Amino acid sequence: MKRDSSFAALKTAALIFIAGALCLFLLSSYWIFLITAVFIIGVALQSLGLVVGRAGMISLCQMSFAGVGAWVVGYLNVIDFPGGLPVWLLIGGLAALPFGIAIGLPALRLRGINLAIVTLGFAVAFGVVLGTITYPGQTTFTMVARPSGLESDQGYFIFVLAIYGIIAVALEFITRSRLGASWLAIRHSERAAASLGVSVPKAKLSAFAISAFIAGISGGLLAGYMGTLLADNFSMMQSLVLFAVAIMVGAQFPLGAILGGVLVALFPELLRRLSLPQDLGSVFFGVGAVQALSTGETISEAFGRLGRKILPRRIRTQKRASEASLPAARVLDGDKAVLEMRDVTVRYGNVVALNRASLVVPQGTVVGLIGPNGAGKSTFVDAITGFLLSYEGKILFQGKEIDALSATQRARAGLRRTWQTTRMAPELTVGEYIRLASGGGLSDEEVDAILVWLDCPPSEQLISSVDAGARRLLDVAGAVAARPPVILLDEPAAGQSYAEAVMLGKRIAEIPERFGSSVLLIEHDMDLVRSACSQVTVLDFGAVLAAGATQEVLDMPSVKKAYMGIDFDEEAAQ
Amino acid sequence: MNSLLTSAVAGLSAGGAYAILGVCVVFTYRLVSVVKFTATALGAIGAFVMVIMTEMGYPLLPSVLVGILVGALASTAVGLITTIWFSGSSQSIKAAVTAALLVCIIAMGQRLTGGQQPRAFPDIVGGAGIQLAGVTITAASLVAIGFAVFLTVAAEQVLNRTRMGLQLRALSERPMAAELLGIPVRRLAIGVWAASGAMTSIALMLVAPLRSPDFGSLSLLVVPAFAAALIGSFKSFRAALVGGILIGVIEGLASVFVGLNQYRAAVPFLVILVVLLWSQRGAQWDEAR
Amino acid sequence: MKKLSKTIRLGSAIGLGLLATAGTALASGPTCENGPIQLGAVSTVTGPVDFSAAPKATAAFFEQLNASGGINGCMVEFEIADDRGDPLIATQAARNLVDNKKVVAMVGSASLLDCGVNAGFYQRSNVLDVAGLAVDPVCYTAPSVSGVAPGPYLLSTAMLYFASEKLDAKRVCAFNYVIGGWREAMEGAMSDWEAITGKKLHILDMTLPVQGDLTPYLIRARDAGCDAVFTNQVEPGIVQLINTADAQGITGIDWVFLASGYTEGVASALAKTKQPIYVGTEWEPYTLRNEANKGWLDMVTKAELSPSAFSQGGYLAARIITDVIAGIDGPVTRDAVSSALRTMEPVSYPIAAGPYLFGKGAMDGAMRAVKVVELKAGAWNVVTPEWLELPEAH
Repeated sequence: MKRDSSFAALKTAALIFIAGALCLFLLSSYWIFLITAVFIIGVALQSLGLVVGRAGMISLCQMSFAGVGAWVVGYLNVIDFPGGLPVWLLIGGLAALPFGIAIGLPALRLRGINLAIVTLGFAVAFGVVLGTITYPGQTTFTMVARPSGLESDQGYFIFVLAIYGIIAVALEFITRSRLGASWLAIRHSERAAASLGVSVPKAKLSAFAISAFIAGISGGLLAGYMGTLLADNFSMMQSLVLFAVAIMVGAQFPLGAILGGVLVALFPELLRRLSLPQDLGSVFFGVGAVQALSTGETISEAFGRLGRKILPRRIRTQKRASEASLPAARVLDGDKAVLEMRDVTVRYGNVVALNRASLVVPQGTVVGLIGPNGAGKSTFVDAITGFLLSYEGKILFQGKEIDALSATQRARAGLRRTWQTTRMAPELTVGEYIRLASGGGLSDEEVDAILVWLDCPPSEQLISSVDAGARRLLDVAGAVAARPPVILLDEPAAGQSYAEAVMLGKRIAEIPERFGSSVLLIEHDMDLVRSACSQVTVLDFGAVLAAGATQEVLDMPSVKKAYMGIDFDEEAAQ
Repeated sequence: MNSLLTSAVAGLSAGGAYAILGVCVVFTYRLVSVVKFTATALGAIGAFVMVIMTEMGYPLLPSVLVGILVGALASTAVGLITTIWFSGSSQSIKAAVTAALLVCIIAMGQRLTGGQQPRAFPDIVGGAGIQLAGVTITAASLVAIGFAVFLTVAAEQVLNRTRMGLQLRALSERPMAAELLGIPVRRLAIGVWAASGAMTSIALMLVAPLRSPDFGSLSLLVVPAFAAALIGSFKSFRAALVGGILIGVIEGLASVFVGLNQYRAAVPFLVILVVLLWSQRGAQWDEAR
Repeated sequence: MKKLSKTIRLGSAIGLGLLATAGTALASGPTCENGPIQLGAVSTVTGPVDFSAAPKATAAFFEQLNASGGINGCMVEFEIADDRGDPLIATQAARNLVDNKKVVAMVGSASLLDCGVNAGFYQRSNVLDVAGLAVDPVCYTAPSVSGVAPGPYLLSTAMLYFASEKLDAKRVCAFNYVIGGWREAMEGAMSDWEAITGKKLHILDMTLPVQGDLTPYLIRARDAGCDAVFTNQVEPGIVQLINTADAQGITGIDWVFLASGYTEGVASALAKTKQPIYVGTEWEPYTLRNEANKGWLDMVTKAELSPSAFSQGGYLAARIITDVIAGIDGPVTRDAVSSALRTMEPVSYPIAAGPYLFGKGAMDGAMRAVKVVELKAGAWNVVTPEWLELPEAH
């Protein structure tokens, strides 16, 4: 993984370096000046790409963050703060950061359209307030000083390019880290992310904070570029345009950010060359954006697809990692029950979904939980893993009450689950997903070994190209990779072929021994339950019907009647 | 105290405008699930057609009718774009589309109406209105508030009581399923767009005389309209109605406090934030399961 | 206005053609071996406002000048760059004119933000800007820009002075909105008036919303008993303000505005109101067809432009730069034009309130006179036939 991010970072840095050198050699000072703006807007777009493209939250106030950075840089320039523009940029970015967190706080509760409008409201309010504050130094014509030695347009171009490169490279590392993967995860499903132990608030706040920091830097760069600024640079309309461009080009990709910068910064030049009025730019932008958006993929994705057609991506053949490479089981003490539910009751309004249900999962066992559709099995899992707002009764994990813990905290404590419908971020690779799910600390060999052990796709493959059945296996692999004390598997065999289900049953039965995890398996497939579980609990109409050793329970007449729909008496009569 | 009451009442005329526009926004969002950034810009097209016709000497009534028609057509055009090309797209893509269209429509509107050149918006509702706490509430403001109340009641009744309402709700909640059930999805959606365009046009004709009468300013009324709709979480017509009036009143009140009023623009924003955080306190998870 | 120098009469007597031949009559004059003289203007043509009437008048002036032989035989090429009210585009446009078109000076520009974002760049590039319509207060403080009018800063003081001294308003109130550099400018203008008259504003509110309802403000003005209300609103805002006042049935307040209200659009939009509306103008009121306006009127009539205060500014800027260039001996380069502007003697034109001297704008008090027009039944009437001179502060 490290190698992957280093390679990608190196590639990005090299591309930027080559592009910069070409520009410096080939272009006139005027064009250098224009292209500098491309990269400044590129920085702003990268910041937006992080929040919108990666974390999936709508931010319509990105230029407000930039405005904070710009105004701070202006002020530092006026008081002649030591360190020059590089230091000012950093301080400007840091000043924008709390604003990002402040906007991120409502994002913990608000999503989609509501968050969009809150950020829009902030952009408007901030624009008005900023409008009343004259840009520092404007009345005395103190231009923001560029870094010494880089005052010329060429020099400043190099400076902006370097900053763009640093940010692009840093983002390559961050997005491939666990933090970056957690952004993609919350974008796709907050519940699924929480079940991996990802803290949703932390992921959202960090996305907004880092994004605001980068946006603040872009504002500071703009200050050095233009020398002095106006509130119009950071108005709500500018934020709206930036948002539309970011969605259009796919600003989460370095190429997309530059393309967006080209669109914003160079289109006016095209109109100037053609002697056309500038408002046509707005019209073309609207029409072009609608056209580009209607294709369903961002411009960078379209380019990427074309690129792969020409240069197909090589997939490293998976090493047949041996079982010896599997990560060691975590040592657990004693043989007491790892998970215990005591008289748990769940109500949805007037409907009682679970009625005083109790269950024990002893150390080192696979316990089955079966019952007809609507019996309350999924509610059961939700209650244990903390995805219900409230329930009555007690849940003990390793002997401790965990009722006050959030879903994320339970997952981190070692109570992991899989989902009936998998919600993995399709942008991740299989390997990245396993790493995110494992909580870190696995070597490449260990990851490969787990994937081979469960017959999953190779680690370089993108999840978007993995079929639904294999995704379920991957979900199981992710839970296993974390080696938690308890794993709750919610119908892992659904959609699997018979042979696959048999293999899966065998693997599930091995989990306690190999990984030290106890398993609670929710399944319909009786063969799977028989082959994997040593104990079974039967749920019917929200209440526990029977519990005990697998074969004994399955042979009970009441279980057969309730679960299999077979009336024991009728069967006997035949 | 008296001056507080006076300024609160003075905020009512703006509040009526925000309420009616907020209700229109909720209407579109509930029925076709699109955040229409273009909402007021499309209404402004209708209103400007009306004013240009009266300036050319046409009588008021036909001008108003043509204006409403043009507003409805313009809205339908945007509706066609979103339903044909973006029916399956995510919310952020739809938001990006209408944001881009807003930039486009404002540019064209400003070009065609002469930038900041003010227009003589006729009072389509004459009369002096009523006096309250020393403030005249104009007949147009009263009609605007009345129209907003009417829309709220009518929309609720239609959605909850009629067969068409049922179909419309099905359309917004499960468009695919609605299509499978044989509901004429596209026709209904286009109808919703046209109706919202016509309503917004009427709303803007009512409020334009007391607002800055240029295309850009009228288009940007979408922001307080959104704020009003947001108070009802884009779901409740009543909350949007009350919210719109409340925002107007708060703006009026904020103008009294001299220390505060430099940051007055931030006040409605903060109010909305508090209301939302309170009303959404139960929403722990996103909808994806 | 007795001080108006002889150049006025001379200037209005000699036509454009004569001006050109006057240049050749000198032993040496401006020369242009490297092609036509390049001039440019960054203006807001599209976008939120359309100020293009000013640079278009400048363009028409140069067109007619070229047709009659140019300046000492030198043709003038003039380019208007649109900035759409967008700071980034304005920066690029200025770069294009200065770096690529190699303009020797900017002239007739009328932009929402050109001064604000480009004044520093002009200074660095030694390009001077004889702005046709200087909107932004920065235009009046920047060393590289000098508008051809007293500007909103001085006009504000003058209009308050008009309200308190000529309309005898006892309680003068001011409601201003603040964007960009307006805060310092408006505060300065208000305190200048207080220094000149020794009076105090009854209400000073600097928080008028750019977008938003004005009812609460008007109620406040009415309840406070203001006799005259001044605001720095632009066209649509003025219409909104008066409409709101009418809706509230407010009477007995004189409304006093800046030059941006002096347009046909405002007149027709407010044709029905009975409110007393006064607007200050920085040049000879454009609605007058008198001797002072003759040169400009001839030009706009020939070019088929509609008369407006904006086009007066564009015309005046073009005349000033033409006269300055005509006075250069030798090649017309950027440095030559800039130093000619910096060292010029005051020039006076009958269309303007006072003598123009580059770098001596409102701040230094070169032009300290305005005229006031009143809106009556959809038409502008001049209420101060003589220039209203603003006394120096004690």
